Amino acid sequence: MPDRVLLAEATVVVPAVFACALWWLPHRWTAAVARLGAALTAASALATAGLALGHPARPRVGDWIALDAAGGLLLAVIGFVGFVAVLASPAHLAVSASLLVGERRRHQAYYLVLFAFWATLLAVPVAGNLGAAWLLVEATTAASALLVGFNGRPRALEAGWKYLILTSLGLGVALLGVTMLAAGVPGGGLAALTWRALPRYAGDASTATCAYVLLVAGLAAKIGWAPVHNWLPDAHSEAPAPVSALLSAALLPGVLLVAWRCAQGVAPVVGPGVARGVLIGFGLTSMGTCVPFLSRPLAWKRLLAYSSLEHMGVIALGVGFGTPLALAGVAVHVVGHALAKSLGFVAVTPLLAHEPQAAVRAVGGIGRTRPGLGVTLGLSLGALAGLPPSPLFVSELLIIAGGFAAGLPWVAGAAALALALAFLGMIRALLETAAGEAPHRSVTRRLPGLRGVQALAVGCVPALLALAGAAPWLPATDIVRALAKGVS
Amino acid sequence: MSGFPVLGWILVGLGLAVVALQRRTIALGAVTAQALLLVAPALAGARDGGQLAAAIALAVRALALATVFLVVTHRTRDPRPVQQGSAPLRRVALAVALALALTWLVPHVGLPSRGPERVVLALVAFGLLVAATTAATVFQVLGIVLVENGLALAALQLPGTSWLIELGVAFDLTLIAVVASVFHERIFTEFGAGDTSALVTLRD
Repeated sequence: MPDRVLLAEATVVVPAVFACALWWLPHRWTAAVARLGAALTAASALATAGLALGHPARPRVGDWIALDAAGGLLLAVIGFVGFVAVLASPAHLAVSASLLVGERRRHQAYYLVLFAFWATLLAVPVAGNLGAAWLLVEATTAASALLVGFNGRPRALEAGWKYLILTSLGLGVALLGVTMLAAGVPGGGLAALTWRALPRYAGDASTATCAYVLLVAGLAAKIGWAPVHNWLPDAHSEAPAPVSALLSAALLPGVLLVAWRCAQGVAPVVGPGVARGVLIGFGLTSMGTCVPFLSRPLAWKRLLAYSSLEHMGVIALGVGFGTPLALAGVAVHVVGHALAKSLGFVAVTPLLAHEPQAAVRAVGGIGRTRPGLGVTLGLSLGALAGLPPSPLFVSELLIIAGGFAAGLPWVAGAAALALALAFLGMIRALLETAAGEAPHRSVTRRLPGLRGVQALAVGCVPALLALAGAAPWLPATDIVRALAKGVS
Repeated sequence: MSGFPVLGWILVGLGLAVVALQRRTIALGAVTAQALLLVAPALAGARDGGQLAAAIALAVRALALATVFLVVTHRTRDPRPVQQGSAPLRRVALAVALALALTWLVPHVGLPSRGPERVVLALVAFGLLVAATTAATVFQVLGIVLVENGLALAALQLPGTSWLIELGVAFDLTLIAVVASVFHERIFTEFGAGDTSALVTLRD
């Protein structure tokens, strides 16, 4: 059996090497080499994830690398979404321009930053200590902010700047929490920040609670939890569509995993009620905040962005409940959300070619004028809304049931209400997008990237159905037991 | 750290200067001086190669940021200082109030003595206020640097802080500053000033 740690290291090194190589290659080779790099990286990530999930009871935990079931799950998600993002990039680059980078090296610069971002992101779930995790999350900000503002137009500059400043400030606050925790763990040094050292915190509980709140509140700014989510709709809507997929389906849950590990690490010190309560608070606030936005007509990418706010809230709630039912729901939700959101974002390139107004406002009747594209958008929205048989329907049921099992019926009830309201908003958007009134649109023009998007949709259908079918069996598995145990 | 009260007051004074100032270059000088002031005790307290490397990284970070921002401010001369939204005295009063509130809310950071803890929390408060209340792009980034200067002080006061993590923080902050300078230049080209009050089109 290949060494899991070595494979995890390869998963990070391969895209980093390709990032450098792509910068030096002539333009005509970039797309092909990027596809090769994406295939190798995704294969490595999925193999590492397979080994981690295949042996969930035996995580590998060191000072620098920790590979457990949760890390494996996120590696698989980040590997898949990154692969899709790279494959979707040539179509996006073919129809876009950049004022931030000169035209001569636009493709090379894009792939350099995209692969650097992907490599950093892949390192987050396998980081063996809180300090390294913080550094990696901060490094993702630098790379992804450049991608958000890549086209260099005023709206993209606004989104990229907001993202850079708000998340950097949030991470500054989180670093204060990290410092406070490090000060209280005997021994000091790097060993004080490993996931397994956090429960040995020896300072007073009020300091640990304060440090934990600062840490999670700071990370919340990066995860996009309300009320510190202001950058999220702007960055998701203005970034290149493949990058939006990575931001939404991979970055947000990746950083959420860091917050989850912190909660598991400090729970013995601050008490499980406090550790979970903070996550539940952010979860409910995020779910409540997204409802009014999902209930009004929004441009496609902004709709998907507010849906990210909702889904990060749902995942926070599941992690906060912490019961086997809820954690099974979290696992299914992370994967289902990644599949549906990737599909929704990569469909943006053909959608904008078909209806440019979709960049700035809600558009209707795509299913009437371009049935293939309409079905794809409908599939993504239906799955994200939790329309049965979407796996997100099953995962949300599991999380709500997990809330009741955790003895928090009022929280579970409030979450169910927020989910129902968000569902109505998403279904209205689905009906409008797929079957609403359609203005006259050209239907003869070949849409860039449409074939790839439709192939992804065809692949997503059985994957989503299989996930929904497997979900009810998940709570009793070793994977969920490992998720509950964590690496601490 | 002997003589900390004096160093602490100087650090706080420089932080308040950044809050009150409108000229980018003077504020940049204050933030850089703050970081360089932290280097001296870091070098004096270095007990091994790792800690020495962390102290040198702090110095390199301070000088690298100063260079990046000097180049950027030189290339993007605002016709007049960007309006800060409120008067300097009001900003200083707000900053002091926020620092006091943070000191009251955060019970104990975990540093060996309370004096440096208060300085750390004051610098974090000043940085947050500068980034949140000023419209000038350069000042917003200086706010982040101010926060990180406070956290560098905390790391210096902690026994056995990982020097690798300190190196990483210095590298990350420099990276963020370089990316911010790319954005700043582009914003300046687009709007004629490094003023974030022009960035108001994205609303729901």
